[in-house]
Amino acid sequence: MNKLSFHYHHMMPWPYLPDGYDETYDSAWVTLPNAIYDPVKGHDLFNRYFNELERADQLGWDSVIVPEHHQNAAVTIPSPNIMAAVLTQRIKRAKIGIIGNSLPLHADPLRVAEEIAMLDVISGGRIISGFVRAIGMEYFNYGVNPTLSRELMNEAHDLIVQAWTRPGPFAFAGEHFNYRYVNIWPRPIQQPHPPIWLPGSFSLETIDTAARYKYPYMTVFMSTEQRKMVYGLYRRLAEEKYGYEASPEQLAFCAPMFIAETDELAMKQAEQYVLWLFDKAFFKVRPQYVTPPGYFSEQSTLNMLKSGMVEQMMKKRSFKELVDTGVVIVGSVDTVLEKLAYHCDELHAGMIVNVTRLGPMPDEVVFEQQDLMARYIMPHFREKPATSEPQPVEVSSL
Amino acid sequence: MSVPEAIQSAECLERTVEVQGIATHLFEAGNPAAHPLLYLHGMLDGNQWLDYHKAMARHFHVFVPDIPGFGLTARPNWMRDISDYVFYVRDLLDALGLEKPFIVGHSIGGWIAAEIAAWYPDRVSKLVLTGALGLRIKETPMPDIFAMSPEEIIGTSFANPMAALPLMPSEISVEYMFAQYKQLTTLASLLWNPGYDPKLARRLARVQCPTLLLWGEHDRLIASAYGELYQTLIADSSLEKLAGAGHMPMFEQPEAWSSAISQFLNQEGGNA
Repeated sequence: MNKLSFHYHHMMPWPYLPDGYDETYDSAWVTLPNAIYDPVKGHDLFNRYFNELERADQLGWDSVIVPEHHQNAAVTIPSPNIMAAVLTQRIKRAKIGIIGNSLPLHADPLRVAEEIAMLDVISGGRIISGFVRAIGMEYFNYGVNPTLSRELMNEAHDLIVQAWTRPGPFAFAGEHFNYRYVNIWPRPIQQPHPPIWLPGSFSLETIDTAARYKYPYMTVFMSTEQRKMVYGLYRRLAEEKYGYEASPEQLAFCAPMFIAETDELAMKQAEQYVLWLFDKAFFKVRPQYVTPPGYFSEQSTLNMLKSGMVEQMMKKRSFKELVDTGVVIVGSVDTVLEKLAYHCDELHAGMIVNVTRLGPMPDEVVFEQQDLMARYIMPHFREKPATSEPQPVEVSSL
Repeated sequence: MSVPEAIQSAECLERTVEVQGIATHLFEAGNPAAHPLLYLHGMLDGNQWLDYHKAMARHFHVFVPDIPGFGLTARPNWMRDISDYVFYVRDLLDALGLEKPFIVGHSIGGWIAAEIAAWYPDRVSKLVLTGALGLRIKETPMPDIFAMSPEEIIGTSFANPMAALPLMPSEISVEYMFAQYKQLTTLASLLWNPGYDPKLARRLARVQCPTLLLWGEHDRLIASAYGELYQTLIADSSLEKLAGAGHMPMFEQPEAWSSAISQFLNQEGGNA
């Protein structure tokens, strides 16, 4: 078995930020004027991003992954299911991860169940279906009450899994969602249902839910120390509360990665792109948008206040600090191999979700990064190199 | 109802009363023979016994509960919309033996007070709403308090931020931040969206008691246009705007605020 599977995450960033951006705007989220978005350039950009993902497929990544985020410059994918529909036609071999649909934002989760089932059928059973609660900012965008976030998430999850697995028609009676007739056409190919991943930041409840259902838990932008802590918690919950040993395929980490000939060169070349993500885009946000009241449970809130985790994550960090703490993985091939091996061997993680395209990174740099990963990093963790030939999914064997 | 002798005009008794299973923390003060007054606090308040409470207690038998989710009164998880608070306050009146008190409500407490007067008109003898939530004027939306930093909330609420000193903590501890988070969570459950009661405007026609609408002239949170709207919707009502005050007139113009209230409540009859 491969020690590590590789997943190519794309945020589809908006790299064309205007002059004076840093001083003029206090947030890349919620209130950043959408006049900054140029739809004609956007058309070109989306197609460049599709080409890049096609390349990742050809180079052997196990999946390509898109998230859902709203009204911001860091991630221009408000509908990941539309993106996945495009990718079913472009990506011939790899799985297609939607990590994930923001369940509490969608008043009708049955639609999510239907769309994922459609995509699974269209792609021949290649969909990975992540579910997320949406991040704080998006509760401002969508007007969804953050105090209901966890309830909506749990109930939508239950409905969707039932819609995929229970013979229809059946009735679903929830507190928030009620359907007299759940009977989705098409049904998903993958049985019992497409794999579900749960990305998480610090909610104890998400880690617990993931451990309970054996769903892969994907850490996002955490430091190595933080990963160590939450993976430890996941593994302990699995063993002590749910009575099984968690496998490495249940522990994923999503991190920006950059490789160059030497550590020094890598540090030099990666800095501006990494800082784009942290200073201008994903982490440029009014603090109040990040943690709307009620989004985190009281217990999680108290833990975060005591540990200062949110402040740590949201405070301005130097590039060196981001690299040293493992939030981003940067270095020579040997250094990156060593860092990834640490995650396998010491943290028992089995899936790396790399973010390669960072903001204004030119295509040729992105392609070079892909090539370096495919040539020098991936084979190291595989029993045998993945073939670059398309491998149609054999439906009969599923 | 027996009242401990300790309650004198400006002294206060702190106690807990059980309402719908909720241990409700409250202050009680004033002459037990005076007319009872229930004060429902606003969104920055709770577990406070301050000068403006004392001023009310000089004229009335005052009850100042912490609304669930504020101060020392916990909010059970099932309590999540304004109707839960209306039933709760209705039962609180019984628990305190208040047959027909004056009700003074500020901000979020003003919203609850207005609902009580509409749902249970025979349980309110006079009503004062000050900077009250509950209605919507499309052209004058309430600013998004959840997008504001604590400093911005103070800056928006107070015409004179120096008047906010009594609300400032001596230190910003984890406990203080946690209490603030829980309080904001209660506000979010009531105010996130839509943040008003679409049916209240129509139901205010049911309010029978004389009503004073007392607004800070420079209220930037709930603009005085809301006071004007309340005035058009409540039959026996008058509106008074306090100069030099924002959303927190009891801190900014305590004397004018207190005397407007005591004058209105002490006068015979209503506004006519």
